[in-house]
Amino acid sequence: MSASLEKGVRVLKEVIDAPIASYFNSCVHCGLCAEACLFYTETKDPKYTPIHKLEPMRRLYEQEYTVIGRLKKLIGLSKAVTDAELAEWQELVYNSCTLCGRCSVVCPVGNDIVYMVRKFREGMSASGNAPDGLKGASNRTITIGSPMGIKLPAVKAQMRHVEEDYGLPIPLDVEGAEYMVMLSSMEIINFPEYLAAIAKIMHQAGKTWTLCSTSFEATNAGMQIGNSDLARVIVSRIVDGAEKLKVKTVISPECGHAFTALRWEGPNLVGRPFGFKVKHIIEVLDEFKEQGLLKTEGFETDRLTFHDPCQLARRGGVIKQQRNLMNMVAKNFVEMPDAGFMNWCCGGGGGASAIEEGEELRLEAFRKKKSQLDAVKPDRLVTACANCRIVLEEGLEHYKMNLPVVGLTEMIAEHIPDPVVPEAKGD
Amino acid sequence: MATLNDKEFKERLAALSSAQQRQVAARFIHRAFALSGDLRVKAAVEAALRADVSETELAGIAQAANAARVESYTQCGKETDWNVQAGHFVAKAAADCVRPIAEGQSLAWDAAMLIRVARTCGAASGDTTDHKEAEAQYAILDDFLSK
Repeated sequence: MSASLEKGVRVLKEVIDAPIASYFNSCVHCGLCAEACLFYTETKDPKYTPIHKLEPMRRLYEQEYTVIGRLKKLIGLSKAVTDAELAEWQELVYNSCTLCGRCSVVCPVGNDIVYMVRKFREGMSASGNAPDGLKGASNRTITIGSPMGIKLPAVKAQMRHVEEDYGLPIPLDVEGAEYMVMLSSMEIINFPEYLAAIAKIMHQAGKTWTLCSTSFEATNAGMQIGNSDLARVIVSRIVDGAEKLKVKTVISPECGHAFTALRWEGPNLVGRPFGFKVKHIIEVLDEFKEQGLLKTEGFETDRLTFHDPCQLARRGGVIKQQRNLMNMVAKNFVEMPDAGFMNWCCGGGGGASAIEEGEELRLEAFRKKKSQLDAVKPDRLVTACANCRIVLEEGLEHYKMNLPVVGLTEMIAEHIPDPVVPEAKGD
Repeated sequence: MATLNDKEFKERLAALSSAQQRQVAARFIHRAFALSGDLRVKAAVEAALRADVSETELAGIAQAANAARVESYTQCGKETDWNVQAGHFVAKAAADCVRPIAEGQSLAWDAAMLIRVARTCGAASGDTTDHKEAEAQYAILDDFLSK
């Protein structure tokens, strides 16, 4: 056994906990999880059945923690996990799983298959079997602080552009601000309009907010590759920044996994409750709406539909809020089949979009989204996750569907009257 | 009177008709085309520069320009190549330029801002030239208005 395999197997043995043991024992092999996975439904290849993606971990569990499994191993009826097998499983554990959680919610015995895949990724990562794309993202997170190599000067450059464009100041390191706004690398690089939208919305709402120079990056590469230690470090940076600035609420950006990592797993990762609240930007906007602080003008009249990011809706429970916001600015908002809790993934979540070798499969799986869109024939597609947005655009481009994709926060901001910024007074 | 600052610049751009906004936007993009180098972007800019371009002609070019925009995105988790990213913003400005103009859209101002973002990306990738993009854009607008 190679040193890396030994490490991977040791980690896998450590992460097999009571829930995983009960899940393996409870599985009734019904196959419902297959029908819930877009990689299976669009390829019909049984290897993409979610529970099958965990087979090496299941065998290890059986061999290590059950009497029958130990006997089977002893008499050679159950083979040991090998390097080659884990390498082969990379495609199943990473490329063809976006951690979307659809399989978990259809399981009739309540197995949280996403939880199991996440644990399996810990072993895959420790044994060196994570995809190169995710390894690179993780290394950059450790050395630079951002999976895409974004440093503070890039953020400051974007801040200057927004200030120039809208004439609104972008606060940095303001102690005692009510909100600390996080960004994902994707928003810094590809969607500068997100920060502009935040500035405009906060200005209208009259709220104090700030970016944090030591913690602006929300993306959690540790969670995607399956490395809890790294995930903890990333969350700790955010906690340190929020506590240093004494903010009341940290706003997770339009990035699905950033929200799950910080809101739902953050306190467990750092081992204590946070002294501040964590909310997704969509939740904050809906609160502003309820409080009468978000005042929009006019309506979009073309046919719009909304793609629910899996981590926001299914895994995060935020479903009504985005609809309240859509109805604020859209006259012709239509729902795709399966919208909301059971929405189908864009195909690029959970780190899948960073895996170059998975692109062909991703585009094949995109046929599911295409069929949802074909059913309602919208003029534009709205979403609330920067990664979904790009994956959707790539899929639409591949299938020659002329359908613009826009971010919800940005669309709301477009309906807010331009701010009247007082000019600086001379002497 | 020469444009001296962004406030005047924005106001003067907003006063242009949609067709004029497209032509001015195309001039802004043309100046920074070297950041992209994509022939689909070039075709879009060249079409948008022409005063006599038809909507049908633009529609034919729009899909290719949009493909250039989508293909140049930096995907989540990938290492940022600021040079490619500069090209993305040029492609985005070009794709917007050949799309039907929506009511209330500030096409020329948005293009000016995207090109400035592209220049910043270029600087991040090691371009040390001070392009004085804002001043150059003021001059382009003044020249357009004087004709």
